[in-house]
Amino acid sequence: MSLSIYNARLLDPASNLDEVGAIYVDRGKFKEISAGQTTPHEDAKASIDAGGLCLAPGLVDLRVKTGEPGIEQKETLATASRSAVAGGITSLVVMPDTKPVIDDMALVRFITERAKSSAAARIYPAGALTTGLKGEAMAEIGLMANSGAIIFTNGDLPVTNASILKRAMAYAGSLGATIMSRPDERALSGSGVMNAGKLAGRMGLSGIPVEAEWIGAMRDTVLAEATGCTLIMDQVSTTRTIEIAKAARARGATIFTTAAAHSFFFNELDVGDYLTYCKVNPPFRDEETRLGLIDALKRGEIDAVVSAHDPQPPEEKRLPFGEAAFGAAGLETVLPAMLSLVHDGPLSLLEALAPVTCRPADMLGLPQGRLAENAPADLILFDPGKPWLCEREHLRSRSTNSPFDGRRLQGRVLRTFVGGEEVFTHESIS
Amino acid sequence: MTRAAYHYSFDHEHLLSIEGLSPLDITHILDLADRYAEATRAGIRPDPVLKGKVVVNLFFENSTRTMSSFEIAARRLGADVISMPVAASSVKKGETLIDTAMTLNAMKPDALIVRHSASGGPKLLSRKVDCAVINAGDGTHQHPTQGLLDTLTIRRAKGRIEGLKVVICGDIAHSRVARSTTQALHLMGAEVHLCAPRTLLPSGTETWGAASATTDFDKALKGADIVMMLRLQLERMDGAFLPSRREYFSFFGLTKDRLALAKPDATVMHPGPMNRGIEIESAIADGEQSVITEQVEMGVAVREAVLHLLAGGRT
Repeated sequence: MSLSIYNARLLDPASNLDEVGAIYVDRGKFKEISAGQTTPHEDAKASIDAGGLCLAPGLVDLRVKTGEPGIEQKETLATASRSAVAGGITSLVVMPDTKPVIDDMALVRFITERAKSSAAARIYPAGALTTGLKGEAMAEIGLMANSGAIIFTNGDLPVTNASILKRAMAYAGSLGATIMSRPDERALSGSGVMNAGKLAGRMGLSGIPVEAEWIGAMRDTVLAEATGCTLIMDQVSTTRTIEIAKAARARGATIFTTAAAHSFFFNELDVGDYLTYCKVNPPFRDEETRLGLIDALKRGEIDAVVSAHDPQPPEEKRLPFGEAAFGAAGLETVLPAMLSLVHDGPLSLLEALAPVTCRPADMLGLPQGRLAENAPADLILFDPGKPWLCEREHLRSRSTNSPFDGRRLQGRVLRTFVGGEEVFTHESIS
Repeated sequence: MTRAAYHYSFDHEHLLSIEGLSPLDITHILDLADRYAEATRAGIRPDPVLKGKVVVNLFFENSTRTMSSFEIAARRLGADVISMPVAASSVKKGETLIDTAMTLNAMKPDALIVRHSASGGPKLLSRKVDCAVINAGDGTHQHPTQGLLDTLTIRRAKGRIEGLKVVICGDIAHSRVARSTTQALHLMGAEVHLCAPRTLLPSGTETWGAASATTDFDKALKGADIVMMLRLQLERMDGAFLPSRREYFSFFGLTKDRLALAKPDATVMHPGPMNRGIEIESAIADGEQSVITEQVEMGVAVREAVLHLLAGGRT
């Protein structure tokens, strides 16, 4: 089935393209990217007049939690992918923190198979770095990699024992596997529930100090350098962490950094009256840090932006702040959060798209995330200016714990295609 | 000739925090509490303004003192009181909180008095119920009636609040009393100085209204009108936050010599229960300058006033 989409504003960060033109898709792949062309391709069986909408690669999200297997009341691969494609995300890396933990090859295959039969987007399982995510014994990294695990991570609870992490890095590095780890010295962040500081003190909540992230980052980068393992520093929340990554890179380590889309949008004050939807880890930091992260993103120092999607049902969130679960549903708000940095911030559209398309794809060695001949035809059509009110009850995720609930956002995905097939159409079109 | 109209009404639905109260609100509560205190001293039974009302004490944390104080206050005003110490069971505390709140709410009480180990717990509960919620202490956040009773005790001892130098010493970091009392006294014009070992002194105390925060108790005491000592949880003194009890007493214990650094007529306070010989010498706790038992007495009076205003029809 061939498809032509014309009269679109083509946005491709990988080739720095921002021009009106047309694309031609055949058998799931881009066959032609034609800047300047405003008419349909003559061989196309179907064609769409984009009417000037933006056409960009589908988003690639490196950090998504679902509840499948075992915690399906939170989210399944099917519901997560439905929410993802509505937010323009066409490739998702799903975390291993499920029940059971994804720590062997059968479970990796289970995720892949379930995704094939139920998911609207491309799903890539992340394997557990340690058995049961307990941080005690290395999981079968090689076998899982052969079965399709794309990265290895200990998920929300990074390995505390430096010796175990070092060996896991050395082993994974020798196989060419990539490790993703959130920088966190848990002895310091321990019982914390929000950003440490004046506000936490006044609210009587225990804080997560920035030092916990810095010390974690220093440890992880030193070990990555020593072992030669490729490390993705998961969800950095301060600018100094980015400096630590830069310093390690200058010494020859292969290090990437990611940040959660919501960390560019919220600061600690949004916790307000103990709003548990704003309880995330790493926590929303102070305003100066938020602005610093935006600057770092503008300079290209944050390699990828992730949704950090972490669905939590009401029973996990309708609790006193200290007892509520961490995590925010984020799949449908990544693009609007990034576009807010275009509308109200310093980024260009291409700068806002690069960390959610080609850069994460490159980190994983994936061919998508770009408008390029023979790349998978994963694409979105979006209206960057379309205003909408984010209402929890209209989100498609099974859990709707979004800190964006009640916020006015600008920019909406109208159509999403995976491998040339339309998987999402906004109700305003159909 | 026209007369300037002045109208004040106490229009708070709940008492969850000192934050949100105005100096006028506090004065209003203290004036009413003062009248209740005098009535009790004179042996006069107050008007049963809570007659027919149901007040529920919901304590998720053990507290004999505060729970009895609220219970006596509510009974004096004629309320029917049910006290429910909800033991910290194997059930997850938060589930108990919301579920218990919904269940109790269906029974239509007129006021819920809540103590919970989580900061913000009573606030969460107040969103789910239709009656007045009074925070009787939440985690390390607030204990508003304690802040009010401290303020009343000081006003009675000194005849004023404005311009007084108050020193609060002890575990500031984990103290909801320090937060509420500092805010209340600051609102009423006192100058509050906080003092603690560095590990128990959080940043940002200026946002509570504190004039200073220091680790030098002796220096802080100079010229103090009021010295308030806070209870230090014994388990915090064994190496985690402090090296030892004797080291704490040596630097932060209130002794006779130390008290001499304050004004000669300085008043000594403690929200109780005390660790005698650790944060305060017995001789001082029981001495002439101490108003510690009056604090307990004012506790009942303040709680009568608060219950009256929130559950007994507005005046």
